[in-house]
Amino acid sequence: MLEEPYRWVEAMRNRRDYLDDQLRGASPVVATHYRDGVLLLTTTPGPRKVFEVYNEIAFAAIGHPADIEKLRKAVIDIAHLEGFNLSASDVNLQRLVSFGIGPLVKEAFDEIFRSPFLARVLVAELDPSGDDVFYTIDADGSFVRAGRAAAVGGSEECVDAIVEYLSAEPADAELAVALDGALKAWGCGRLVLDSEEGEKPSAEQVDEYLRGALKDLQVEAGVLDRSLPTKSKFRLLGDDELQDALGAYSGA
Amino acid sequence: MESCDFLDMLREGGHLPEATTMAQGKRDFESVEGTTILAVRYRDGVLVAGDRRATMGNLVVYDRADKVLSIDDDSVMAISGSPATAYEIARMLEMSVQYYRRTQLQKLSLDGKLRTLSRLLRQNLQMAMQGVGTVIPIYAAYDERDQQSKIFFYDLLGATFECVDFSTTGSGSHIIRGALYYLNRWGETPIAEMDEAAALELVVKMLETAAEYDTATGGYRATARIYPTVMRVGAEGIRSVGEDELEAIFQGRMS
Repeated sequence: MLEEPYRWVEAMRNRRDYLDDQLRGASPVVATHYRDGVLLLTTTPGPRKVFEVYNEIAFAAIGHPADIEKLRKAVIDIAHLEGFNLSASDVNLQRLVSFGIGPLVKEAFDEIFRSPFLARVLVAELDPSGDDVFYTIDADGSFVRAGRAAAVGGSEECVDAIVEYLSAEPADAELAVALDGALKAWGCGRLVLDSEEGEKPSAEQVDEYLRGALKDLQVEAGVLDRSLPTKSKFRLLGDDELQDALGAYSGA
Repeated sequence: MESCDFLDMLREGGHLPEATTMAQGKRDFESVEGTTILAVRYRDGVLVAGDRRATMGNLVVYDRADKVLSIDDDSVMAISGSPATAYEIARMLEMSVQYYRRTQLQKLSLDGKLRTLSRLLRQNLQMAMQGVGTVIPIYAAYDERDQQSKIFFYDLLGATFECVDFSTTGSGSHIIRGALYYLNRWGETPIAEMDEAAALELVVKMLETAAEYDTATGGYRATARIYPTVMRVGAEGIRSVGEDELEAIFQGRMS
C-alpha cells in the first residue's frame, strides 16, 4: 500500500502526529548561558535527563527513557571513538549532530515499519573561544543550531516562549541568577504548553505556578563549567546549589 | 544489556589494532625497558616518580619524556618499556575509565581499573613475547573504599600485585631496590611514616642514584631545566609536583 506516493505522505504525517502527541506532555529542557559556561535545566519524575557526553559536551532529552538512553549511548560511542582515533580536540558538536545523531534519528523516523525514536534531544558544547553553542534535534532528525538559548518541549509555542524569555536575560549572570532565570523560563514554557490558546503568562503567573509545581517535582540541572580544573567540564548541580534557587518558591 | 566496555566497543567497530606479529620467528626475549620508575607509600599518600630519558639501544632519543601519566582524577600509571605501546595502553585505560563513567553514570571501581589494565597488557602479550613492545607498568590509585592510596605492579602477562611500601621498575630499578629496602628497614624513619617533604627528597635521590649507574636513566639537569616527573596520589586526588618544588630540593639538600 505504501508504494502509492499519497499513502506514503499520509503515513509520514501520521507518524509525525503520533510523535507530537506522545511528546506533548513532556517537561521541557531549557538551556542557557551563564558566566562560566552553559546551564541545562529540567524537571523529572525519576529518570535522569541531563547527561555528560564528552569533555565539553552535554546531552539532555525529553521522551521515552529507553529511547533517550539509546541515543545517549550512540552519541557517547561516536564521541569516544573520534576522541580515541584522533584526539579530544577533534570531537566537535557540529559534526556529532550533523553526521551522527541527525542521520540516526532520521533513519528511524523514515522506516515506516519500525518505531521511531520517541525523543527530542538538546546538546550543548563549550567552545574554547567562548562561542558556546546548542543544537536541538527533533524526533524526525531535523536539527537546528542555537546561540543564546535553546529548549526542547512538547510544542513549538512552548519552545518559542522559553527561548524568548531566556534571550531577554543577561548571558553572563552568575550561576544562582541564571538558575532562577532558567526555572522561570521552564515555568513559562510549561504554562504555555498547558494553556488552550498558547498565550504567554505574566511574571506573577509564572511565580505562582512555580510555587505550586515545584513541591512535587524534582529539578535536575547540569552545567558545562569552563572554570573546572579537570578535562571534563560537566557536573550535575548538587542539592545545596538547587535549594538556593528553589528556596524562593518553597516559602509561601 | 549493551556492553559498557570501551575495548569491546572498539573491537566491534573494527577499531582495535590487531596484535602485530613479527615477520621472522621468535626473538630472544629480553627486557628492553630503559628507565627508572619508583613509587613509595608515605604517611599521606603515594609518590610516583620517573626519570625523563628515553633510549634506543645505546642512544639517548629524548630527554623530556613523561613516564608518569594521569589516568583519571585519582589514579596514575607509570610506564617502563616500549613507549609506543605504553602510551597507547595508558590512553586506552584513560578512555575506558571515562567511557564507563559516562555510559554507566557511575565511577569504575579500583578493581575494575586494575582488571582493565591487566586485559590491556594481556592483549599485548604476543608482541611482548617477541621482545618488542614490552610494558611493565606501576599503577597507583586512591582507594575510596579503604580510604588509602595503594601501589600495584604488573608482570608481563598482566598479573596484578599490590605492594605495601615501595615498588620499582625499569632498567635502573635493581640499583635502588636494595637501597630502598635498607632505608625502609634500618633507616631513621620507615617510608610509611615519612612526611611529604622527606618522601619527595627520598624519591628524587633514588632517581639520581639510579642515573649514576644506569645509562638508560637520565639524571636532572638544572641548566636545561630537566627534572624528574613526580606525581602525588592522595585522598584529595592526584597532583603533579611542580618544577619549582623540585628545583628547591635539588639546589638545597642534594649538593
